[in-house]
Amino acid sequence: MSQTEDLMKRLPNDIGGFPADPVVQVEHELEPWEKRCHALADVLDFHKIINTEEKRRGVEALGSEMIGKLTYYERWIAAFANILFQKGILTPSDLAVKMDEVRSRERPNTESKNA
Amino acid sequence: MSNRNDDKVKHDHPHDEISHNASLGYYEIMETAVRELLIERQLIGPGEIRRQIEVLDSRNPALGAKVVAHAWLHPDFKARLLKNGRSGCEELGISFYDDTQLIVLENTPKVHNLIVCTLCSCYPRPVLGLPPDWYKLKPFRARAIYEPRAVLAEFGTIIPDDVEIRVSDSTAVIRYLVLPMRPAGTEKFTEEQLASLVTRDSMIGVIPANNPSETSPK
Repeated sequence: MSQTEDLMKRLPNDIGGFPADPVVQVEHELEPWEKRCHALADVLDFHKIINTEEKRRGVEALGSEMIGKLTYYERWIAAFANILFQKGILTPSDLAVKMDEVRSRERPNTESKNA
Repeated sequence: MSNRNDDKVKHDHPHDEISHNASLGYYEIMETAVRELLIERQLIGPGEIRRQIEVLDSRNPALGAKVVAHAWLHPDFKARLLKNGRSGCEELGISFYDDTQLIVLENTPKVHNLIVCTLCSCYPRPVLGLPPDWYKLKPFRARAIYEPRAVLAEFGTIIPDDVEIRVSDSTAVIRYLVLPMRPAGTEKFTEEQLASLVTRDSMIGVIPANNPSETSPK
């Protein structure tokens, strides 16, 4: 078997059957933005803008490095942004402009000194 | 990257891969931006996110416990529930806010059921609320399907060798709920007393329902 064969057969999410550490029973209360992100996923599904399967594939499409480094809801919002770009619903510059607006609104007294 | 963390209270709890603060500001801003853009373009309504948060907050394992206790007391209901989990829950007034179907898996002296989502985090949210973090993390997802006895032992659950373990892997549209065995010594319990023995983890299948001698209901 070639060394890359498994990469073709297994997307990053497809970890069932792999060796792994013991289960540690961790839990946390969702941050407010995480709960909003979850609600956004449901609302996007209700409106048939992004369904659950598309969301999962969108997370897989982030690639193993991002999947490994981002937290659960960070992966979701990153996937939503990418899917909305792919569907032509938003453009990357729409999002960049809006993020700047949100950032400056949240920190009105701060110049974008580390932009 | 934002400098939002500069003015955050310093956290002293450990951060894991589910939630950490290092890059929270950036993704939180992204979430706000995406939501506001979708509302501005009238693709979603202005109050929908808040209303859905209220729906999410209204869902917790007490709903599933009510279903289980009702099934223990009413064989006819249990039969309907096992035939169609979703309509069974709906009979008890639990609405499904998504397009998922629900399959209820009955534990017996010969079969123990365990649910997992190997691909991500699919879970019977309408009846249990949101899943615990460990359900979404690699160790449980990777190992539940090939060494369930070892995984269950990590929850303190020892299943005898002559009991079959069935692991059901959830999908985007098919979710599972375990109907745990009714504990012995509960013959005179009311539905509410029975429901108090049914925990979230027992409906995932990692532990049995609580033993009444450990919880001593009044």
